Amino acid sequence: MSTGTITPYRSGQRPGRDDFPHLLWAEWTKFRTVRGWVIAMAAAAVLTALAVVALAGVSNGSQNAGANPAVAIGPGGEAVTDNFYFVYQSLDGNSSITARVASLDTELANAGSPPPHIAVPWAKAGIIIKAGTRPGSAYAAVLATPAHGVRMQYGYTHDTAGLPGAVSAASPRWLRLTRSGDTITGYDSADGRHWAKIGTARLAGLPPTVQAGLFAASPPLLAPACPPGAICPPGSPPGQSFASNSTLVPYTTQATAAFDHVSLRGGWPGGAWRGGQIGFPTGIPLLCTPSPGHFCPKTPAGGFTKSGGTFTLAGSGDIAPYVTDVDPLGTVLKGSLVGLLAVIALGALFITTEYRRGLIRTTFAASPRRGRVLAAKAIVIGSVTFAAGLVGAAAALPIAENKLHSGGWAASVYPVWSLTSGHGLQIVVGTAALLAVAAILALSAGAVLRRSAGAIAAVVVLLIVPLILGAILPQTYADWVLRLTPAAAFGLQQGTPHYSQVTSVCQPINGCYPLAPWEGFAVLSVWAAAALGIAAFLLRRRDA
Amino acid sequence: MSAGHRMTRALRAEGATLREAVHAEWTKLRTMPSTGWLLLTAIALTAGVSVLATVVVKCPALCGEDTTRLSLTGILLGQAAVAVLAVLVMTGEYSSGMIRITLAAVPRRATALAAKAIILTGVVVAAGTVSVLGSVLAGRFILRANGFTGAHGSLLLSLGDGPALRAAAGSVLYLALIALLSLGLATAVRDSAASITVMLGLLYIVPLLTDLGTLDPAWEHRLQRYGPMTAGLAIQATKNLNKLPIGPWPGLGVLAAWAAAALLAGGLLLRLRDA
Repeated sequence: MSTGTITPYRSGQRPGRDDFPHLLWAEWTKFRTVRGWVIAMAAAAVLTALAVVALAGVSNGSQNAGANPAVAIGPGGEAVTDNFYFVYQSLDGNSSITARVASLDTELANAGSPPPHIAVPWAKAGIIIKAGTRPGSAYAAVLATPAHGVRMQYGYTHDTAGLPGAVSAASPRWLRLTRSGDTITGYDSADGRHWAKIGTARLAGLPPTVQAGLFAASPPLLAPACPPGAICPPGSPPGQSFASNSTLVPYTTQATAAFDHVSLRGGWPGGAWRGGQIGFPTGIPLLCTPSPGHFCPKTPAGGFTKSGGTFTLAGSGDIAPYVTDVDPLGTVLKGSLVGLLAVIALGALFITTEYRRGLIRTTFAASPRRGRVLAAKAIVIGSVTFAAGLVGAAAALPIAENKLHSGGWAASVYPVWSLTSGHGLQIVVGTAALLAVAAILALSAGAVLRRSAGAIAAVVVLLIVPLILGAILPQTYADWVLRLTPAAAFGLQQGTPHYSQVTSVCQPINGCYPLAPWEGFAVLSVWAAAALGIAAFLLRRRDA
Repeated sequence: MSAGHRMTRALRAEGATLREAVHAEWTKLRTMPSTGWLLLTAIALTAGVSVLATVVVKCPALCGEDTTRLSLTGILLGQAAVAVLAVLVMTGEYSSGMIRITLAAVPRRATALAAKAIILTGVVVAAGTVSVLGSVLAGRFILRANGFTGAHGSLLLSLGDGPALRAAAGSVLYLALIALLSLGLATAVRDSAASITVMLGLLYIVPLLTDLGTLDPAWEHRLQRYGPMTAGLAIQATKNLNKLPIGPWPGLGVLAAWAAAALLAGGLLLRLRDA
């Protein structure tokens, strides 16, 4: 029995706007108006800076053997390794040099007769144009390697790939360098007729007369140390499984290379080929661990022989950036873990508090599309954390570097990264980005678990505990832990860059991570994106 | 005991006895859904990560490993769940307002805190025993299959062994002390997010900052001796004891001192402040 319809009450007010910018504004207002959160976020920035600086203050270079290594200083004032056997002549003006590498073998130096063959992936034999014979002077080279094909390298850090494949009698490698003013161009060829350009190097301030010729070098091989007096099997190559706490020592290796079809064009004043060791070879010979009263045989002297048109060179050493095992800056940046912990707590609280207070029901009533609410929260907490992290890291970096250098760490080896240099930016922006994505991960965990304690603990176990596991598991598995967990992102805080063309001890305890810095950050981001997806799904499925 | 009798007991000036308070705490803990989940998580994390850590270590390559310590690696992660449980025992009551009812029923605040500590210790020791036994048993089978048969100077893992038994029992005690430290801290801080953050920082950040290799060795040594986790986990070591920064029992003693100090501070603040 109906008596007509009653129009329900409708407010005369305009409906509220729930477009995304307003949602963002609402979430920003929620963050800004909780005084404890604002204080905690500021504290996270300050604590990050203070902890990093304090760690740098107690970091002691004078007690660390690696703090002041004997190194050559490169053209830019940086520490470099510049040790190799050089067969050279003076070269005037614009000219070129061509040679064919007919063979390249590597062996353990001084390890018996005949010395055992051992693979050295980055042994080098090729042609080089160098400003002078002083170690650390500018150069450009085209070279063959046993495992990485032909490369053009210059300025110690630049490395460009040419023809792939190893050198053998069946497939020799033709190499050519041409100089025109400051510009040196490298070419390679498999047959001496078809040449391909690899790259061009501009060496500013190259003198008119330079030294050019053939060279051979073989970097030390890192292998576990032999107990004193013991006869060790030929060193296991790096990358094998050994306990992370076993010491790796560098063993001297030697490369022997045969060159023929050496031809020179342009301003060669003529004269004989001279041979000489540039710098000094590093590493200690296998089968011998130096101890008091027990001297090891001298590291091998390089040398060369010439018969007909064939040069045979033997040489140890490397032409490369100097890479240290210890990374004092990377390790003191671990102080940012203190700020990270605070940021994780804030990220989780940003949503768990709404559940505790019941505000989440108001939030969803005002903006029923829950995925968008989560996105707005992620953007707000991510941006605020990024800004705070940026301020904290930028304030800490110059002070910490200053303290490290006054604490005994040689400035040439542990360089000053200004805030505008590429690596300095990577550290500062990387630390801020790491904190921001960690906050978003914590927000997602908070949305899934709805309880702050559980969410904070879950994120800490995922993000920080792998660092501890990485220090106690055997190296191979520690590497996998640090590749797969969000902790991979800590590679962003590497204080000394690592180069793919230099084999070095890479252990997390020394601030070195198995993934490249931004790859590691991508791992963390994938985790955060997946967690955010699960959180959005559950928010929609469950009652608030 | 009749309902009327119980009420008169509760209305007596001295309030509920410790036994009654313990019973009440047991009821509260038992009926919280999070308790079961957290204990299960603690057991699964401890045993699971211990198994993963033992699976990857093979003998001819790594015979020198401390097998007992290795098979208890999971405690590193399991303790996080224990800390969450212990923090929630106290801060859960503050966030729901239950604490006022608890303190009305048990006006002696030391008794209320002691009751919580007793129940928490009991529950954590039970869960800790399950997870440690699970880890050690799994470790025994896996390590034997991986070549740790006593040859090459490797250690067989057996609880009949004095040091191994000390490591296993000590790990259970370690978890209990972590729970008590968290409870004391949570009583002082009263907020679950802040308590768990400080607790996890104390556990995980301190060892990470001491293990940098570039610090002043004196500082490093000091932090390793007196950090709650690095000191407490010395109880798991069965090899190279003379190289440890602190001995097994003194290390656990340091953690016990941390827990006692936290409970004392928490108890004092609980007495002095309004709930």
